[in-house]
Amino acid sequence: MTNNRRLIVGFATLAVIAAIWYVMTEATGWISPGRFPTPLDTWDALSQVTFGEYANGALYEHAFHSVKLVLLGFMVAAGIGVPLGLLMGWNSKAEALINPIFLLIRPIPPLAWIPLAILWLGLGDAAKVMVIWFAAFVPSVVNSYTGVKAIDPAVIEAVRMLGTPRWRFIREVMIPAALPMIFTGLRLSLQASWTTLVAAELVGALYGLGRVLNVAQQDIYPGMILVGMISVAILGWATTMILGQVEQRSLRWMQVRG
Amino acid sequence: MASIEFSSVGKVFNRAGIDFVTLDGVDLSVAEKEFVAIVGPSGCGKTTCLRMAAGFEFPTLGTVKVNYRDVTAPGPDRAVVFQQFALFPWKTVAQNIELGLRNKGVPKVERQERVKNAIALMSLQGYESAYPHQLSGGMQQRVAIARAYVLEPEVLLMDEPFGALDAQTRVSMQEELVRLARVNPRTVLFITHAVEEAVYLADRVAIMTKRPGRIKEIIDIKSVRLAEKWDEHERIEDVMDLESFVHLRTHIWRSLREEKGSQVH
Repeated sequence: MTNNRRLIVGFATLAVIAAIWYVMTEATGWISPGRFPTPLDTWDALSQVTFGEYANGALYEHAFHSVKLVLLGFMVAAGIGVPLGLLMGWNSKAEALINPIFLLIRPIPPLAWIPLAILWLGLGDAAKVMVIWFAAFVPSVVNSYTGVKAIDPAVIEAVRMLGTPRWRFIREVMIPAALPMIFTGLRLSLQASWTTLVAAELVGALYGLGRVLNVAQQDIYPGMILVGMISVAILGWATTMILGQVEQRSLRWMQVRG
Repeated sequence: MASIEFSSVGKVFNRAGIDFVTLDGVDLSVAEKEFVAIVGPSGCGKTTCLRMAAGFEFPTLGTVKVNYRDVTAPGPDRAVVFQQFALFPWKTVAQNIELGLRNKGVPKVERQERVKNAIALMSLQGYESAYPHQLSGGMQQRVAIARAYVLEPEVLLMDEPFGALDAQTRVSMQEELVRLARVNPRTVLFITHAVEEAVYLADRVAIMTKRPGRIKEIIDIKSVRLAEKWDEHERIEDVMDLESFVHLRTHIWRSLREEKGSQVH
């Protein structure tokens, strides 16, 4: 299918879903507005939080706050996780040293760190960054490690045969070879960051989209809940898109056909 | 003058606590600018011989010397052409060929000149900025051979370099390699299980026994090739039709079959 047709089909699907939504709620009342908002309720909630305030702030403030925490946690996790994974893949001593710690921490679900994080760091941003870090760290490490381990042994032998110095091997062979897996890890890390952020903000926060969701639930305000959910979805999609663009640029050689 | 010298080389591999004697007293020397092919039944340790000359593995007994020095590590003086090419997929053809020269610290202008020559030598003009995955298997192996040749290594080690290619590509690569050996002769150790390939390419063919491998017999091809003027024939099939070629091939086949026949299954 061409891109154009894909787009048309995509919009058609959305239009059908919107129509069903309208019929089920506004038109017939089959779904009670207390359970799921009508399109109009949702619109009202959106304009309220966009032009006014809800849960201590306007929508853009909540969104900005959430994005800031996600990026902070994600970047700290990736910034430590990717080099650590590469090191573990490359150096068997580092692997032997770090792997046991890792195996110990890995089975703990990231969300289980939330109580401890709040206890240590309070309800502020630091606790959330810490929890995101725990969630995003694991996929970055594991995939970078696997990427290095999966390098063709013959390629390593070719590198040695050509007399390649260590730093050049790291820069020009190890990292490019592991890069597709590194990006797989980063994508999983980013997803984990969003999941964890929303969960952490639900538990306790002063700002953020998770806070909006939490307050809206307490206010029994389905329209606002939906606005919060859609906002998270759009932001998650947008950050993943940006990462995808970076990936495509970095792996340009893979796209060249002919 | 011997470029590569195996003296009483033994190699024992340990797999899951059990020792496997792979090589048992291999003696073989390759003279400077000589092309020696090793043939032998699979599992006889012929690739292990090459890997020891390359410095990827080391003998349990005996010595492997290249230019009178014990082999202690891999290096660009012993360029290897691998069966599975082992190119860098994220580097262009020119970058793949250039890496070894950069590692040696060859100045940029000279580097470009030598890469250009290697590309011309392997008929890769026009593909300088292509990536390996855009090329056919035969072309990829040309790049790998160019990457080895550009270093002007003292010895070239080729480990079943045409084993992964289809029959037609294989034949044209064999013709190419013969042409190359005339234009730019090198000391070559060539591993293969294809008898015709060995007879066509090599100055001498070493036949190995089944495991534990030893050199069973060394057949001189060069004197026959010169006496019978094989080089006057351009095409491989014309050479393969010559009585002298058929005779050598059959001799090696028989010798190998004896080994396979006595193999315990």
